[in-house]
Amino acid sequence: MKFNLKNIIIFIVFMLLQILWFNHINLFGRFTPVIYLYPFLILPVSKDESFNLIIGFFFGLIIDIFTQTGGVFAATTVLLIYLKKFYFLINKSPSQDVEEMKISKLSFVQKIVYFGIFIFLGLFFIYLLEAFNFKLVISKLGYIFISTLISLFFYIFIDTLLTGRQATS
Amino acid sequence: MIKLIKFLTTKKSFLLFVLLELIAIILIINSHNYAQVQTYSWQTAFSGQINQRLSGIKYHFYLKQYNDSLLKQNANLLQKFYNNIQIENTGTLPGEYEFIPAYVVSNQYHLSHNIILINKGRLDSIQPEMGVAGMNGVVGIVQKTSGHFSRVISILNKNTKLNVSLLHSNYTGFMQWDGNKPNVFSITDLPADAPIQIGDTIITGGRSSVFPKGIPIGIITDFATVPGQKSYKINLKSFMDYTNIGPVYVIKNILKKEIDSLKTPVE
Repeated sequence: MKFNLKNIIIFIVFMLLQILWFNHINLFGRFTPVIYLYPFLILPVSKDESFNLIIGFFFGLIIDIFTQTGGVFAATTVLLIYLKKFYFLINKSPSQDVEEMKISKLSFVQKIVYFGIFIFLGLFFIYLLEAFNFKLVISKLGYIFISTLISLFFYIFIDTLLTGRQATS
Repeated sequence: MIKLIKFLTTKKSFLLFVLLELIAIILIINSHNYAQVQTYSWQTAFSGQINQRLSGIKYHFYLKQYNDSLLKQNANLLQKFYNNIQIENTGTLPGEYEFIPAYVVSNQYHLSHNIILINKGRLDSIQPEMGVAGMNGVVGIVQKTSGHFSRVISILNKNTKLNVSLLHSNYTGFMQWDGNKPNVFSITDLPADAPIQIGDTIITGGRSSVFPKGIPIGIITDFATVPGQKSYKINLKSFMDYTNIGPVYVIKNILKKEIDSLKTPVE
C-alpha cells in the first residue's frame, strides 16, 4: 500500500469532519453519524498492515481527545483495520490475491454489505468499550442498528460523490 | 531464537495490533478511573479551546430558543422574589449557594458515561464536586478543572447517582440514568409509604451539599413497587432536553468544606 500525501490528507479531512461537524449533529433527537472510518474502510489491504494500524490508532486517539473517551475510538479503528483483512480473505475468489481487491471494484450491493457490516461492528465496539458493560450494549442493539443505517447512508453518499468524481476525471 | 525472530517478523502486524489494542484499553481504563483523571487536564484545556469556537457557532442558531428559556426562568425568579416564596423546609441558609453562569462547549448524550465541557474553570473559582444546573434541571457534577474549562460528569452517566425528592413530601430516593434514552431516568430506594401518582414532580433532594433542595427535574411517567422490598421503582421523564443544554449555572456551596469536614469520620 502506497501511503502518499493524498491519503493522509483524506484521513485528516474525515477526522476534522467528524470532530468539527458530525459530532455536533443530532438526527431525530439522538443519533450521531460516525463517518471518520470511511477512509480506513476504502483502503485496500496491504501485505504489511503495520503502518495502517499505527495511523488508525493515531487518528482514533485524536477523536478520543475531543470526545473525552480515553482510547475507545483508537481501539475500534485498530480493530476494524485488522478485521478488514479477514473480510477480504473470506470473500476473495481463489485466483485472487487479497492485496489486489479494491473497494471501488465492488458492486453497489456488495459495498452496502461491506460498509454495513463494518459500521455496525465499529459502533458496537465503540459502545461496548465505552460502557464496559455487555448487558447494556445488548439493550442498546436497536439504537446501534438505526445508527448504522444512518451512518451507512452517509457512507454511500460520500462514496458515490468521491468515486463518481474519480470516474469522470 | 532464529525461529522466534522469524515468527515475530511474519506476525508483525498481529503483534502490533495486540500492542495498540492494549495501549487503547489502558487509556480507556484510565479514563474510567476517577482517581487518575488528573492526567487528562491538558486534554480538557486543548479540546476545550477548539470546542468553544464551535459551540459559539451553534449557540448562534439557538439564540432565540435559549433566550425564551432564560426569559421564562427569569420570570419565575422574579415571581419568587416579589411574592417572597420560599420552598418549604429547604434547610439552606441565606446566601449559602452561589450561582456562576457558564456555557456548555461540548456535550455528549449517546454514550454510557457522558462528559460535558463548560467554559468556566479554576480561574473562575470552580472546583471539583460542584453541581451544574441548566435552565430546566440538573446537568451534572464538576469532575475536574483546567484554567478556563471544566469537565463535568453528565447526569447522563451510569456512574452518577442523584439524591431526589418528591415536590409535595419529604420522601427521598436516588435517581440514575439507565443508559438509553437521554430523557428517561429511574428512581430507586423511594419508600413505598410515599404517596405518589403519575405526573408528580420530582425535585433535587438537598441531602448532599452539591445541589440545593428544590431544583425541578422531571415528572413521574410510571411506577411500580419492587417485590420483596419496601420501595418504589419509578420512571421519570426529565424537563431538560439533554441533547441541547444551553446556558448552565455552576452551583457553589460556600459551606461545603464545613459540611464535608463533619461528614468525614474522625480518625
